[in-house]
Amino acid sequence: MRGGWLHWTVAALAAAFLAAPSLVVLGASFTAGNIVAFPPEGFSLRWYGQVLSSTALRGAFLRSLEVAAVCTAVAIPAGTLAAVALARWRFRRATAIQLYLLLPFTVPLIGSGIGLMLLFGELRLLGAVWPVGLAACVINLPFMIWAVAASVNGLDPELERAAANCGAGPAQTFLLVTLPAVAPGVVAGALLMFILALNEFLVSLLLVDARTVTLPVHVYNSIRAVITPDLAAVSSIFVLAAAAAIWALDRLVGLDIFLKAK
Amino acid sequence: MKPTSAAPSVAPAVEAEGVSRRYGDVAALAEASFRLEAGRFLTVLGPSGSGKSTLLRLIAGFEAPDAGRLRLYGRPVEAIPPHRRSVGMVFQRLALFPHMTAAENVAFPLRMRRWDARDIPARVARFLSLVRLDGLGARRPHELSGGQQQRVAIARALVFEPELLLLDEPLAALDAKLREEMQLEFRRIQRELGVTTINVTHDQREALVMSDRVIVMDQGRILQDADPETLWREPAHAFVAGFLGVGAFLDGVAAEGPALAIAGATLPGRAPAGRAAPAPGARARGSLRADRVRLAGAGATPAGCHAAAPALVEDAIFEGDRILYELRLPTMGGARLRAIDRDPGAHARHAPGAAVTAGWARDDMILFDAD
Ligand SMILES: Nc1ncnc2c1ncn2[C@@H]1O[C@H](COP(=O)(O)OP(=O)(O)O)[C@@H](O)[C@H]1O
Ligand SMILES: [Mg+2]
Repeated sequence: MRGGWLHWTVAALAAAFLAAPSLVVLGASFTAGNIVAFPPEGFSLRWYGQVLSSTALRGAFLRSLEVAAVCTAVAIPAGTLAAVALARWRFRRATAIQLYLLLPFTVPLIGSGIGLMLLFGELRLLGAVWPVGLAACVINLPFMIWAVAASVNGLDPELERAAANCGAGPAQTFLLVTLPAVAPGVVAGALLMFILALNEFLVSLLLVDARTVTLPVHVYNSIRAVITPDLAAVSSIFVLAAAAAIWALDRLVGLDIFLKAK
Repeated sequence: MKPTSAAPSVAPAVEAEGVSRRYGDVAALAEASFRLEAGRFLTVLGPSGSGKSTLLRLIAGFEAPDAGRLRLYGRPVEAIPPHRRSVGMVFQRLALFPHMTAAENVAFPLRMRRWDARDIPARVARFLSLVRLDGLGARRPHELSGGQQQRVAIARALVFEPELLLLDEPLAALDAKLREEMQLEFRRIQRELGVTTINVTHDQREALVMSDRVIVMDQGRILQDADPETLWREPAHAFVAGFLGVGAFLDGVAAEGPALAIAGATLPGRAPAGRAAPAPGARARGSLRADRVRLAGAGATPAGCHAAAPALVEDAIFEGDRILYELRLPTMGGARLRAIDRDPGAHARHAPGAAVTAGWARDDMILFDAD
């Protein structure tokens, strides 16, 4: 194929550029020395041992998991119903809702974060872990809706008529035909929400206190004190966890579901 | 097994009285009235957009008519939601449930209608066998060929013994050979089960092959309602004559006789069956089927003809079992005509450019009012 090498060179450069930060962190995490350095000084797994034995890190990690779990648990029903409703019924406020779906790109996160901080403060919710999960859900819900909407739009509208023709009432049709048919989108959206909530930093920073730091916030706080290679090890674990989730997503439903959105 | 409800034997399976449905400015269905006796196979034939699917959607209950009355086996159905109507439907794009196997698809109507769970497997197996899918019940729809998916859809529509089967052009997407095979298959199954069926198609051949009765529609109106042979021999409208078979129209002015006057010539014809010929002096069009037009050499008159005109062969198209001639009539203002020769081997073929005589019997030209 003529010109093929050009494509591949550009693609390889782009991939290298995107992967570089992760690779640097991964390399640095294996250092045997006491400071973060790339290329690493020698090779050891001592910082991974350090990470596993640190109660502060483990606590932060468990809290991040809780945040991600709460976020996903709320997003699945809310996002699925919203996506089905948006795709199926034309109603007057549809454009307003579509605008809302663009919010993650338009409103700076710091803005939504401060808004949520004020709101949660007013409701006396600051200081607990689950409201952070709720906040992550509110901010990222459009991604969930997109994932499900991709599945709903790919659905044959005659499918629901066929269900009615077979004798299924509206509730049975939704539960037995519509939902299973959009399940791939729901799984994709749920995994995405989980990863996004696990990584969520800026908004968490505003909502947590010393007892409820999540992992990204904990890492950030540590960096401000002294940068030790255990942070590189934590970051590497993070990257691997996200990669595993993406792999699972691809195996379960295929990544092309995101390309079919719209 | 669930007892089949005893339908009142006198009431027709379907009875439509002035059923209408509009979408915005479009009258998708305009005052459709017809009756269909139980056990019959009716085909609704019409071009795309003529309102065929609309009619089926109203019968299945997915939408409500704006006006008119619809009864199934004597019962008004307006207040009955689709999932409570005893109507099975095969959809144009089949609409099989993608997350269920073929057997689960076929079992679905039985589960929804609360059949005894112990009866379901045997019943599903019987219907998969009826559509010749034995052993394929465990496959998902995407693991089946187009023809096999079609059969699953048929089994799903029939398994619960609906009082009425609706087919919305389910064969349109198949290639010609498979389509003909499935037409006969539908007919076999319909006879075997005796289920009242309304089939919808834009394929005239399918309508003639499969049906006891055919309704021809155009622009939301029912133009003719007849058995296939009557429809073929006695079209009631110029549209029907043009839609069925291969032929041509000659446009002119109606004359006494009845006859059609074109460019000084007067060609004898007849009125449509059961209707008056166009009034003399009015604009009229004569319909001539290609298989009724006979050809002879220039100057000769083909045997058994009441009318003849000089013609130029514009094209001679070899179609295997027949030759289709495209003709022009120079003495009739250049009007076009078509002729079919069904025995191409028997005599010499007329070459393009040849001068011939085209002739036909009086009864072969039907005179319609020009629209
Ligand atoms: N949901 C709809 N909204 C607007 N117009 C429609 C709708 N369904 C059908 N129509 C119009 O009604 C007419 C008949 O449609 P349809 O019954 O689908 O025709 P057919 O099945 O014979 O092709 C067409 O002009 C079509 O555009
Ligand atoms: Mg249609």
